[in-house]
Amino acid sequence: MIQFFGVSRRFSTGQSALDGITLEIARGEFCFITGASGAGKTTLLKLIFREDVPTSGQILVNGRNVSLIPRSKIPFLRRTIGVVFQDFRLIERKTIFENVAFLPRILGLDHGRQKRVAFEALRRVGLSHRMASFPSQLSGGEKQRVAIARALINEPEILIADEPTGNLDQDLSQEIVRLFLDIHLRGTTVLFATHDRVLIESVGHRVLTLAHGRLVDDRPSRRAPAAVPPTPTLDNGRDESATPGERA
Amino acid sequence: MNVLQAFSYFVREAAVGLARSLRVSLLAILTIAVSLFLSGMVLLVSKNLARTAQEWRAEARFTVYLAPEVDAAGKAAVGATIAQGRWTASLEEITPDVARERFERAFPSLSELVAERGEGALPFSFEAVIKPVPAADSAAFSAWVEELRRQPGVVMVDADQDWIGQVETVLTLIRGLGLALAAILLGASIFTIASVVRLTSFLYREEIAVMRLVGATEFYIRGPFYFEGILQGLLGGLIAAGALGGVHLLIEPRIASSLLAGALASKFLTPLELVALVAFGALAGWTGAVVSLNRETLDAPGS
Repeated sequence: MIQFFGVSRRFSTGQSALDGITLEIARGEFCFITGASGAGKTTLLKLIFREDVPTSGQILVNGRNVSLIPRSKIPFLRRTIGVVFQDFRLIERKTIFENVAFLPRILGLDHGRQKRVAFEALRRVGLSHRMASFPSQLSGGEKQRVAIARALINEPEILIADEPTGNLDQDLSQEIVRLFLDIHLRGTTVLFATHDRVLIESVGHRVLTLAHGRLVDDRPSRRAPAAVPPTPTLDNGRDESATPGERA
Repeated sequence: MNVLQAFSYFVREAAVGLARSLRVSLLAILTIAVSLFLSGMVLLVSKNLARTAQEWRAEARFTVYLAPEVDAAGKAAVGATIAQGRWTASLEEITPDVARERFERAFPSLSELVAERGEGALPFSFEAVIKPVPAADSAAFSAWVEELRRQPGVVMVDADQDWIGQVETVLTLIRGLGLALAAILLGASIFTIASVVRLTSFLYREEIAVMRLVGATEFYIRGPFYFEGILQGLLGGLIAAGALGGVHLLIEPRIASSLLAGALASKFLTPLELVALVAFGALAGWTGAVVSLNRETLDAPGS
Protein backbone atom coordinates (compact mmCIF):
# COMPACT_ATOMS: atom_id res chain seq x y z
CA MET A 1 0.00 0.00 0.00
CA ILE A 2 2.75 2.48 1.02
CA GLN A 3 6.34 1.92 -0.13
CA PHE A 4 9.42 4.09 0.45
CA PHE A 5 12.55 3.38 -1.61
CA GLY A 6 15.68 5.18 -0.39
CA VAL A 7 13.74 8.34 0.42
CA SER A 8 15.68 11.38 1.59
CA ARG A 9 14.53 14.90 2.28
CA ARG A 10 17.07 17.64 2.68
CA PHE A 11 16.15 21.27 3.23
CA SER A 12 17.80 24.16 1.42
CA THR A 13 19.75 24.90 4.61
CA GLY A 14 21.51 21.55 4.15
CA GLN A 15 19.74 19.99 7.13
CA SER A 16 18.52 16.46 6.50
CA ALA A 17 14.99 15.57 7.70
CA LEU A 18 14.97 12.06 6.25
CA ASP A 19 17.92 10.01 5.09
CA GLY A 20 17.59 6.94 2.88
CA ILE A 21 14.30 5.59 4.26
CA THR A 22 13.14 2.29 2.79
CA LEU A 23 10.01 0.68 4.17
CA GLU A 24 6.73 -0.95 3.22
CA ILE A 25 3.37 -0.68 4.95
CA ALA A 26 0.77 -3.24 3.91
CA ARG A 27 -2.91 -2.57 3.24
CA GLY A 28 -4.93 -2.65 6.46
CA GLU A 29 -1.87 -2.36 8.70
CA PHE A 30 -1.70 -0.22 11.88
CA CYS A 31 1.70 1.30 12.23
CA PHE A 32 3.15 3.62 14.86
CA ILE A 33 5.90 5.99 13.84
CA THR A 34 7.92 7.17 16.76
CA GLY A 35 11.09 9.03 17.57
CA ALA A 36 12.21 12.15 19.38
CA SER A 37 11.17 15.62 18.23
CA GLY A 38 12.93 16.39 14.95
CA ALA A 39 13.46 12.72 14.12
CA GLY A 40 11.52 13.11 10.84
CA LYS A 41 8.07 11.72 11.75
CA THR A 42 6.08 14.64 10.39
CA THR A 43 8.21 14.91 7.24
CA LEU A 44 7.68 11.20 6.54
CA LEU A 45 3.90 11.62 6.85
CA LYS A 46 3.86 14.80 4.75
CA LEU A 47 5.61 12.99 1.91
CA ILE A 48 2.78 10.41 1.75
CA PHE A 49 0.05 12.98 1.03
CA ARG A 50 2.32 15.22 -1.08
CA GLU A 51 2.47 18.08 1.38
CA ASP A 52 6.19 17.79 0.72
CA VAL A 53 8.35 16.08 -1.92
CA PRO A 54 11.47 13.96 -1.36
CA THR A 55 14.88 15.24 -2.44
CA SER A 56 15.70 11.73 -3.65
CA GLY A 57 14.07 8.30 -3.67
CA GLN A 58 10.58 7.14 -4.61
CA ILE A 59 7.32 6.86 -2.67
CA LEU A 60 4.51 4.64 -3.95
CA VAL A 61 1.00 4.92 -2.53
CA ASN A 62 -1.33 2.30 -3.95
CA GLY A 63 1.23 1.74 -6.69
CA ARG A 64 1.32 5.43 -7.71
CA ASN A 65 4.54 7.38 -7.45
CA VAL A 66 3.33 10.40 -5.47
CA SER A 67 6.26 12.58 -6.52
CA LEU A 68 5.18 12.24 -10.14
CA ILE A 69 1.52 13.13 -9.57
CA PRO A 70 0.84 16.40 -11.40
CA ARG A 71 -0.08 19.33 -9.17
CA SER A 72 -3.64 19.41 -10.48
CA LYS A 73 -4.14 15.78 -9.40
CA ILE A 74 -2.84 16.15 -5.82
CA PRO A 75 -6.35 16.92 -4.43
CA PHE A 76 -7.56 13.56 -5.75
CA LEU A 77 -4.72 11.74 -3.95
CA ARG A 78 -5.59 13.58 -0.75
CA ARG A 79 -9.23 12.53 -0.97
CA THR A 80 -8.07 8.94 -0.50
CA ILE A 81 -6.00 9.81 2.58
CA GLY A 82 -7.45 11.08 5.85
CA VAL A 83 -5.12 13.28 7.88
CA VAL A 84 -5.39 14.21 11.56
CA PHE A 85 -3.07 16.70 13.25
CA GLN A 86 -2.12 17.48 16.81
CA ASP A 87 -3.58 20.99 16.49
CA PHE A 88 -6.88 19.69 15.00
CA ARG A 89 -6.93 22.26 12.15
CA LEU A 90 -10.64 22.93 12.32
CA ILE A 91 -12.16 26.01 10.70
CA GLU A 92 -13.26 28.12 13.66
CA ARG A 93 -15.94 30.14 11.84
CA LYS A 94 -17.69 27.02 10.56
CA THR A 95 -19.93 24.63 12.48
CA ILE A 96 -18.89 21.07 13.24
CA PHE A 97 -21.20 19.90 10.45
CA GLU A 98 -19.61 22.33 7.96
CA ASN A 99 -16.13 21.28 9.03
CA VAL A 100 -16.89 17.63 8.58
CA ALA A 101 -19.05 17.96 5.45
CA PHE A 102 -16.43 19.95 3.58
CA LEU A 103 -15.31 17.12 1.31
CA PRO A 104 -18.84 15.88 0.48
CA ARG A 105 -19.68 19.44 -0.53
CA ILE A 106 -16.63 19.62 -2.81
CA LEU A 107 -17.71 16.31 -4.30
CA GLY A 108 -21.09 17.85 -5.14
CA LEU A 109 -23.29 15.80 -2.83
CA ASP A 110 -26.67 17.38 -2.18
CA HIS A 111 -27.25 18.92 1.24
CA GLY A 112 -29.31 15.98 2.48
CA ARG A 113 -26.59 13.47 1.62
CA GLN A 114 -23.90 15.78 3.04
CA LYS A 115 -25.85 15.77 6.29
CA ARG A 116 -26.24 11.99 6.28
CA VAL A 117 -22.54 11.25 5.71
CA ALA A 118 -21.45 13.95 8.18
CA PHE A 119 -23.87 12.55 10.75
CA GLU A 120 -22.53 9.02 10.18
CA ALA A 121 -18.88 10.17 10.52
CA LEU A 122 -19.68 12.13 13.67
CA ARG A 123 -21.67 9.22 15.06
CA ARG A 124 -18.59 7.02 14.70
CA VAL A 125 -16.64 9.40 16.92
CA GLY A 126 -19.58 9.92 19.29
CA LEU A 127 -20.28 13.54 18.41
CA SER A 128 -23.41 13.41 16.24
CA HIS A 129 -25.21 15.59 18.80
CA ARG A 130 -22.71 18.46 18.32
CA MET A 131 -23.24 19.09 14.60
CA ALA A 132 -24.48 22.65 15.13
CA SER A 133 -21.72 23.62 17.57
CA PHE A 134 -18.62 25.60 16.69
CA PRO A 135 -15.08 24.33 17.40
CA SER A 136 -14.63 26.95 20.14
CA GLN A 137 -17.47 25.31 22.06
CA LEU A 138 -15.72 21.91 22.17
CA SER A 139 -13.07 20.43 24.46
CA GLY A 140 -9.66 19.36 23.09
CA GLY A 141 -10.71 15.70 22.92
CA GLU A 142 -13.94 16.59 21.14
CA LYS A 143 -12.07 18.76 18.64
CA GLN A 144 -9.73 15.88 17.89
CA ARG A 145 -12.70 13.56 17.39
CA VAL A 146 -14.19 16.10 14.94
CA ALA A 147 -10.88 16.14 13.08
CA ILE A 148 -11.00 12.33 12.94
CA ALA A 149 -14.58 12.44 11.68
CA ARG A 150 -13.50 14.85 8.96
CA ALA A 151 -10.65 12.53 8.02
CA LEU A 152 -13.04 9.57 7.89
CA ILE A 153 -15.80 11.23 5.88
CA ASN A 154 -14.69 9.79 2.54
CA GLU A 155 -13.86 6.36 4.05
CA PRO A 156 -10.17 6.80 3.19
CA GLU A 157 -7.93 3.86 2.50
CA ILE A 158 -5.18 5.45 4.57
CA LEU A 159 -5.54 7.43 7.79
CA ILE A 160 -2.52 9.47 8.84
CA ALA A 161 -2.32 10.93 12.33
CA ASP A 162 0.49 13.27 13.34
CA GLU A 163 0.72 13.34 17.13
CA PRO A 164 -3.10 13.30 17.48
CA THR A 165 -2.85 12.85 21.25
CA GLY A 166 -0.11 15.44 21.74
CA ASN A 167 -2.52 18.01 23.17
CA LEU A 168 -4.63 15.56 25.18
CA ASP A 169 -4.37 14.06 28.65
CA GLN A 170 -3.80 10.34 29.22
CA ASP A 171 -7.50 9.34 29.40
CA LEU A 172 -8.43 11.30 26.30
CA SER A 173 -5.37 9.90 24.51
CA GLN A 174 -6.52 6.36 25.23
CA GLU A 175 -9.99 7.24 24.00
CA ILE A 176 -8.58 8.63 20.72
CA VAL A 177 -6.34 5.57 20.26
CA ARG A 178 -9.36 3.27 20.76
CA LEU A 179 -11.07 5.23 18.02
CA PHE A 180 -8.14 4.69 15.67
CA LEU A 181 -8.07 0.98 16.53
CA ASP A 182 -11.77 0.76 15.73
CA ILE A 183 -11.17 2.49 12.40
CA HIS A 184 -8.29 0.11 11.71
CA LEU A 185 -10.52 -2.88 12.42
CA ARG A 186 -12.77 -1.71 9.59
CA GLY A 187 -9.81 -2.16 7.20
CA THR A 188 -8.23 1.28 7.08
CA THR A 189 -4.44 1.49 6.97
CA VAL A 190 -3.42 3.68 9.91
CA LEU A 191 -0.14 5.54 10.37
CA PHE A 192 0.04 7.00 13.84
CA ALA A 193 2.97 9.27 14.70
CA THR A 194 3.63 9.69 18.41
CA HIS A 195 6.50 9.87 20.86
CA ASP A 196 4.33 8.42 23.66
CA ARG A 197 6.02 5.05 24.34
CA VAL A 198 3.41 4.08 26.95
CA LEU A 199 0.65 4.51 24.39
CA ILE A 200 2.58 2.48 21.81
CA GLU A 201 3.28 -0.36 24.24
CA SER A 202 -0.35 -0.48 25.33
CA VAL A 203 -1.46 -1.22 21.78
CA GLY A 204 1.24 -3.58 20.52
CA HIS A 205 1.09 -2.83 16.79
CA ARG A 206 4.06 -2.41 14.45
CA VAL A 207 6.45 0.39 15.44
CA LEU A 208 8.80 2.27 13.11
CA THR A 209 11.41 4.24 15.04
CA LEU A 210 13.16 7.20 13.50
CA ALA A 211 16.26 8.95 14.79
CA HIS A 212 17.93 11.89 13.00
CA GLY A 213 15.98 11.11 9.83
CA ARG A 214 16.98 7.45 9.68
CA LEU A 215 14.85 4.38 10.26
CA VAL A 216 16.62 2.78 13.22
CA ASP A 217 14.08 0.15 14.21
CA ASP A 218 11.11 -1.66 12.64
CA ARG A 219 9.38 -3.76 15.29
CA PRO A 220 6.61 -5.98 13.93
CA SER A 221 3.15 -6.13 15.45
CA ARG A 222 2.55 -8.43 18.39
CA ARG A 223 -1.14 -8.65 17.42
CA ALA A 224 -2.90 -10.86 14.92
CA PRO A 225 -3.49 -9.06 11.60
CA ALA A 226 -6.96 -7.53 11.18
CA ALA A 227 -9.31 -8.68 8.45
CA VAL A 228 -9.44 -6.24 5.54
CA PRO A 229 -12.96 -5.57 4.25
CA PRO A 230 -13.43 -3.45 1.09
CA THR A 231 -13.42 0.27 1.74
CA PRO A 232 -16.39 2.02 0.14
CA THR A 233 -16.07 5.75 -0.49
CA LEU A 234 -18.48 8.59 -1.14
CA ASP A 235 -17.57 8.34 -4.81
CA ASN A 236 -18.28 4.63 -5.19
CA GLY A 237 -20.74 3.66 -7.90
CA ARG A 238 -20.56 7.00 -9.68
CA ASP A 239 -17.56 6.84 -11.95
CA GLU A 240 -15.57 3.65 -11.79
CA SER A 241 -13.02 4.86 -14.32
CA ALA A 242 -11.89 7.77 -12.16
CA THR A 243 -9.38 7.67 -9.34
CA PRO A 244 -11.35 7.75 -6.06
CA GLY A 245 -12.46 11.28 -5.50
CA GLU A 246 -11.33 12.41 -8.95
CA ARG A 247 -14.21 14.80 -9.56
CA ALA A 248 -15.14 18.40 -8.60
CA MET B 1 -19.83 20.04 -7.53
CA ASN B 2 -21.90 21.43 -10.39
CA VAL B 3 -21.55 24.94 -11.79
CA LEU B 4 -24.59 26.30 -9.96
CA GLN B 5 -23.42 24.91 -6.60
CA ALA B 6 -19.92 26.27 -7.22
CA PHE B 7 -21.28 29.69 -8.24
CA SER B 8 -23.50 29.90 -5.17
CA TYR B 9 -20.62 28.83 -2.90
CA PHE B 10 -18.18 31.31 -4.48
CA VAL B 11 -20.60 34.24 -4.20
CA ARG B 12 -21.46 33.42 -0.58
CA GLU B 13 -17.82 33.02 0.44
CA ALA B 14 -16.82 36.16 -1.50
CA ALA B 15 -19.47 38.17 0.36
CA VAL B 16 -18.25 36.75 3.69
CA GLY B 17 -14.65 37.58 2.75
CA LEU B 18 -15.65 41.09 1.78
CA ALA B 19 -17.47 41.61 5.06
CA ARG B 20 -14.58 40.11 7.02
CA SER B 21 -12.13 42.75 5.76
CA LEU B 22 -14.73 45.47 5.33
CA ARG B 23 -12.55 48.57 5.70
CA VAL B 24 -9.89 47.54 3.22
CA SER B 25 -12.58 46.21 0.89
CA LEU B 26 -14.31 49.61 1.00
CA LEU B 27 -10.98 51.26 0.23
CA ALA B 28 -10.55 49.01 -2.81
CA ILE B 29 -14.13 49.64 -3.95
CA LEU B 30 -13.72 53.42 -3.58
CA THR B 31 -10.38 53.38 -5.41
CA ILE B 32 -11.87 51.59 -8.35
CA ALA B 33 -14.99 53.79 -8.19
CA VAL B 34 -12.85 56.96 -8.38
CA SER B 35 -10.75 55.65 -11.26
CA LEU B 36 -13.80 54.46 -13.21
CA PHE B 37 -15.60 57.74 -12.49
CA LEU B 38 -12.66 59.70 -13.91
CA SER B 39 -12.44 57.32 -16.88
CA GLY B 40 -16.17 57.82 -17.42
CA MET B 41 -15.78 61.61 -17.19
CA VAL B 42 -12.98 61.51 -19.77
CA LEU B 43 -15.19 59.40 -22.02
CA LEU B 44 -18.18 61.71 -21.48
CA VAL B 45 -16.26 64.95 -22.08
CA SER B 46 -14.24 63.69 -25.05
CA LYS B 47 -17.37 62.20 -26.61
CA ASN B 48 -19.28 65.48 -26.25
CA LEU B 49 -16.33 67.58 -27.41
CA ALA B 50 -15.89 65.32 -30.44
CA ARG B 51 -19.59 65.68 -31.24
CA THR B 52 -19.41 69.46 -30.80
CA ALA B 53 -16.31 69.66 -33.01
CA GLN B 54 -18.10 67.56 -35.61
CA GLU B 55 -21.07 69.96 -35.55
CA TRP B 56 -18.74 72.92 -35.88
CA ARG B 57 -16.99 71.25 -38.76
CA ALA B 58 -20.30 70.64 -40.51
CA GLU B 59 -21.10 74.33 -40.14
CA ALA B 60 -17.57 75.45 -40.99
CA ARG B 61 -17.20 78.05 -43.73
CA PHE B 62 -14.35 78.49 -46.17
CA THR B 63 -14.60 81.95 -47.66
CA VAL B 64 -12.19 83.75 -50.00
CA TYR B 65 -12.76 87.51 -50.24
CA LEU B 66 -11.57 89.39 -53.35
CA ALA B 67 -10.58 93.02 -53.79
CA PRO B 68 -13.22 95.24 -55.54
CA GLU B 69 -10.88 95.94 -58.47
CA VAL B 70 -10.48 92.26 -59.45
CA ASP B 71 -11.84 91.73 -62.95
CA ALA B 72 -13.76 88.72 -64.29
CA ALA B 73 -10.58 86.93 -65.40
CA GLY B 74 -9.02 87.37 -61.98
CA LYS B 75 -12.16 86.04 -60.31
CA ALA B 76 -12.18 83.06 -62.65
CA ALA B 77 -8.52 82.31 -61.84
CA VAL B 78 -9.13 82.35 -58.07
CA GLY B 79 -12.34 80.31 -58.50
CA ALA B 80 -10.43 77.73 -60.54
CA THR B 81 -7.74 77.44 -57.87
CA ILE B 82 -10.36 76.80 -55.18
CA ALA B 83 -12.37 74.38 -57.35
CA GLN B 84 -9.25 72.35 -58.15
CA GLY B 85 -8.35 71.97 -54.48
CA ARG B 86 -8.66 68.31 -53.50
CA TRP B 87 -10.62 69.17 -50.34
CA THR B 88 -13.26 71.29 -52.14
CA ALA B 89 -16.68 69.65 -52.23
CA SER B 90 -18.59 72.55 -53.79
CA LEU B 91 -18.05 76.17 -54.67
CA GLU B 92 -20.40 79.13 -54.79
CA GLU B 93 -19.87 82.72 -55.97
CA ILE B 94 -21.20 85.34 -53.58
CA THR B 95 -21.68 88.64 -55.34
CA PRO B 96 -21.80 91.92 -53.34
CA ASP B 97 -25.60 92.00 -53.86
CA VAL B 98 -26.06 88.50 -52.44
CA ALA B 99 -23.73 89.37 -49.57
CA ARG B 100 -25.77 92.51 -48.81
CA GLU B 101 -29.04 90.52 -48.84
CA ARG B 102 -27.57 88.02 -46.40
CA PHE B 103 -26.26 90.76 -44.15
CA GLU B 104 -29.59 92.54 -44.06
CA ARG B 105 -31.34 89.25 -43.25
CA ALA B 106 -28.91 88.44 -40.46
CA PHE B 107 -28.60 91.96 -39.03
CA PRO B 108 -31.71 93.94 -40.01
CA SER B 109 -30.95 96.76 -37.58
CA LEU B 110 -27.56 97.35 -39.21
CA SER B 111 -28.78 97.37 -42.83
CA GLU B 112 -28.49 101.16 -43.01
CA LEU B 113 -24.82 100.92 -42.30
CA VAL B 114 -24.27 98.91 -45.46
CA ALA B 115 -26.54 101.18 -47.49
CA GLU B 116 -24.54 104.25 -46.36
CA ARG B 117 -21.29 102.77 -47.62
CA GLY B 118 -22.70 102.13 -51.09
CA GLU B 119 -21.79 99.56 -53.73
CA GLY B 120 -18.38 98.52 -52.39
CA ALA B 121 -19.45 97.91 -48.81
CA LEU B 122 -19.30 94.15 -49.11
CA PRO B 123 -16.76 92.42 -51.35
CA PHE B 124 -17.14 89.68 -53.93
CA SER B 125 -16.31 86.29 -52.40
CA PHE B 126 -16.19 82.56 -53.03
CA GLU B 127 -17.75 80.22 -50.48
CA ALA B 128 -16.65 76.61 -50.56
CA VAL B 129 -17.76 73.51 -48.73
CA ILE B 130 -14.62 71.72 -47.62
CA LYS B 131 -14.44 67.99 -47.11
CA PRO B 132 -13.13 66.78 -43.72
CA VAL B 133 -9.36 67.22 -43.72
CA PRO B 134 -7.55 64.17 -42.34
CA ALA B 135 -4.96 64.96 -39.68
CA ALA B 136 -2.22 63.70 -42.03
CA ASP B 137 -3.28 66.30 -44.63
CA SER B 138 -3.52 69.27 -42.30
CA ALA B 139 -0.07 70.64 -43.27
CA ALA B 140 -0.88 70.33 -46.99
CA PHE B 141 -4.23 72.00 -46.40
CA SER B 142 -2.59 74.90 -44.56
CA ALA B 143 -0.08 75.29 -47.42
CA TRP B 144 -2.94 75.36 -49.91
CA VAL B 145 -4.72 78.05 -47.87
CA GLU B 146 -1.49 80.08 -47.74
CA GLU B 147 -1.15 79.70 -51.52
CA LEU B 148 -4.67 81.07 -51.93
CA ARG B 149 -3.86 84.01 -49.68
CA ARG B 150 -0.96 84.90 -51.98
CA GLN B 151 -3.15 84.80 -55.12
CA PRO B 152 -3.45 88.25 -56.79
CA GLY B 153 -6.70 89.95 -55.80
CA VAL B 154 -7.34 87.86 -52.71
CA VAL B 155 -7.71 90.09 -49.65
CA MET B 156 -8.69 87.49 -47.05
CA VAL B 157 -9.19 83.75 -46.66
CA ASP B 158 -11.49 82.82 -43.78
CA ALA B 159 -10.96 79.12 -43.02
CA ASP B 160 -12.82 77.77 -39.95
CA GLN B 161 -10.97 74.51 -40.47
CA ASP B 162 -7.87 76.16 -39.01
CA TRP B 163 -9.28 76.68 -35.52
CA ILE B 164 -11.47 73.56 -35.61
CA GLY B 165 -8.30 71.60 -36.32
CA GLN B 166 -6.71 73.25 -33.29
CA VAL B 167 -9.75 72.34 -31.17
CA GLU B 168 -9.45 68.75 -32.39
CA THR B 169 -5.76 68.69 -31.51
CA VAL B 170 -6.62 69.87 -28.00
CA LEU B 171 -9.37 67.24 -27.89
CA THR B 172 -6.93 64.49 -28.84
CA LEU B 173 -4.56 65.77 -26.16
CA ILE B 174 -7.33 65.79 -23.53
CA ARG B 175 -8.39 62.28 -24.54
CA GLY B 176 -4.81 61.00 -24.40
CA LEU B 177 -4.09 62.60 -21.02
CA GLY B 178 -7.43 61.37 -19.69
CA LEU B 179 -6.79 57.84 -20.86
CA ALA B 180 -3.29 57.91 -19.38
CA LEU B 181 -4.70 59.16 -16.06
CA ALA B 182 -7.44 56.53 -16.16
CA ALA B 183 -4.89 53.81 -16.93
CA ILE B 184 -2.72 54.89 -13.99
CA LEU B 185 -5.73 54.97 -11.66
CA LEU B 186 -6.94 51.59 -12.91
CA GLY B 187 -3.47 50.20 -12.31
CA ALA B 188 -3.68 51.57 -8.77
CA SER B 189 -7.14 50.01 -8.38
CA ILE B 190 -5.90 46.63 -9.55
CA PHE B 191 -3.01 46.91 -7.12
CA THR B 192 -5.39 47.84 -4.27
CA ILE B 193 -7.76 44.97 -5.06
CA ALA B 194 -4.81 42.60 -5.35
CA SER B 195 -3.66 43.73 -1.90
CA VAL B 196 -7.14 43.28 -0.42
CA VAL B 197 -7.54 39.81 -1.92
CA ARG B 198 -4.05 38.98 -0.75
CA LEU B 199 -4.97 40.17 2.75
CA THR B 200 -8.18 38.10 2.69
CA SER B 201 -6.28 35.03 1.51
CA PHE B 202 -3.86 35.67 4.38
CA LEU B 203 -6.76 35.82 6.84
CA TYR B 204 -8.00 32.55 5.39
CA ARG B 205 -4.57 30.89 5.18
CA GLU B 206 -5.43 28.26 7.78
CA GLU B 207 -8.69 27.46 6.04
CA ILE B 208 -6.90 27.24 2.71
CA ALA B 209 -4.42 24.80 4.28
CA VAL B 210 -7.34 22.69 5.56
CA MET B 211 -9.06 22.85 2.19
CA ARG B 212 -5.91 21.62 0.46
CA LEU B 213 -5.53 18.93 3.09
CA VAL B 214 -8.98 17.45 2.49
CA GLY B 215 -8.53 17.51 -1.28
CA ALA B 216 -10.07 20.76 -2.48
CA THR B 217 -9.01 21.66 -6.01
CA GLU B 218 -7.41 25.02 -6.83
CA PHE B 219 -10.63 25.94 -8.66
CA TYR B 220 -12.57 25.48 -5.44
CA ILE B 221 -9.98 27.29 -3.31
CA ARG B 222 -9.47 30.24 -5.65
CA GLY B 223 -13.07 30.70 -6.78
CA PRO B 224 -14.21 32.75 -3.77
CA PHE B 225 -11.18 35.05 -4.05
CA TYR B 226 -11.78 35.63 -7.77
CA PHE B 227 -15.40 36.41 -6.99
CA GLU B 228 -14.35 38.76 -4.20
CA GLY B 229 -12.25 40.74 -6.69
CA ILE B 230 -15.06 40.72 -9.23
CA LEU B 231 -17.56 41.83 -6.56
CA GLN B 232 -15.32 44.73 -5.50
CA GLY B 233 -14.87 45.78 -9.13
CA LEU B 234 -18.61 45.52 -9.82
CA LEU B 235 -19.50 47.61 -6.77
CA GLY B 236 -16.84 50.19 -7.72
CA GLY B 237 -18.21 50.29 -11.27
CA LEU B 238 -21.79 50.73 -10.06
CA ILE B 239 -20.77 53.58 -7.73
CA ALA B 240 -18.88 55.23 -10.62
CA ALA B 241 -21.87 54.85 -12.96
CA GLY B 242 -24.17 56.31 -10.29
CA ALA B 243 -21.80 59.24 -9.67
CA LEU B 244 -21.56 59.97 -13.41
CA GLY B 245 -25.36 59.95 -13.62
CA GLY B 246 -25.50 62.32 -10.64
CA VAL B 247 -23.02 64.73 -12.21
CA HIS B 248 -24.96 64.69 -15.47
CA LEU B 249 -28.21 65.43 -13.62
CA LEU B 250 -26.49 68.41 -11.96
CA ILE B 251 -25.20 69.77 -15.28
CA GLU B 252 -28.33 69.08 -17.34
CA PRO B 253 -30.31 72.21 -16.29
CA ARG B 254 -27.34 74.40 -17.31
CA ILE B 255 -26.84 72.85 -20.75
CA ALA B 256 -29.28 75.19 -22.53
CA SER B 257 -27.81 78.34 -21.01
CA SER B 258 -24.11 77.47 -20.89
CA LEU B 259 -22.10 76.91 -24.06
CA LEU B 260 -19.38 75.15 -22.04
CA ALA B 261 -21.82 72.80 -20.27
CA GLY B 262 -23.43 72.01 -23.62
CA ALA B 263 -20.10 71.33 -25.26
CA LEU B 264 -18.90 69.11 -22.43
CA ALA B 265 -21.92 67.13 -21.31
CA SER B 266 -25.04 67.61 -23.40
CA LYS B 267 -25.20 63.87 -24.22
CA PHE B 268 -24.83 61.28 -21.45
CA LEU B 269 -23.18 57.88 -21.84
CA THR B 270 -25.24 55.20 -23.59
CA PRO B 271 -26.52 52.22 -21.54
CA LEU B 272 -23.98 50.04 -23.36
CA GLU B 273 -21.13 52.37 -22.36
CA LEU B 274 -22.32 52.32 -18.73
CA VAL B 275 -22.50 48.51 -18.78
CA ALA B 276 -19.00 48.43 -20.30
CA LEU B 277 -17.75 50.73 -17.51
CA VAL B 278 -19.15 48.44 -14.79
CA ALA B 279 -17.88 45.33 -16.62
CA PHE B 280 -14.47 46.95 -16.85
CA GLY B 281 -14.55 47.37 -13.07
CA ALA B 282 -15.34 43.66 -12.67
CA LEU B 283 -12.51 42.81 -15.06
CA ALA B 284 -10.10 45.00 -13.08
CA GLY B 285 -11.22 43.25 -9.87
CA TRP B 286 -10.71 39.84 -11.37
CA THR B 287 -7.27 40.88 -12.66
CA GLY B 288 -6.35 42.03 -9.15
CA ALA B 289 -7.42 38.68 -7.71
CA VAL B 290 -5.48 36.74 -10.34
CA VAL B 291 -2.34 38.83 -9.74
CA SER B 292 -2.67 38.34 -6.00
CA LEU B 293 -3.38 34.60 -6.06
CA ASN B 294 -0.52 33.79 -8.41
CA ARG B 295 1.83 34.72 -5.61
CA GLU B 296 -0.35 32.92 -3.08
CA THR B 297 0.08 29.68 -5.03
CA LEU B 298 3.85 30.01 -5.04
CA ASP B 299 3.77 30.27 -1.27
CA ALA B 300 1.69 27.12 -0.85
CA PRO B 301 3.85 24.23 0.35
CA GLY B 302 3.68 20.97 -1.49
CA SER B 303 1.05 22.08 -3.97
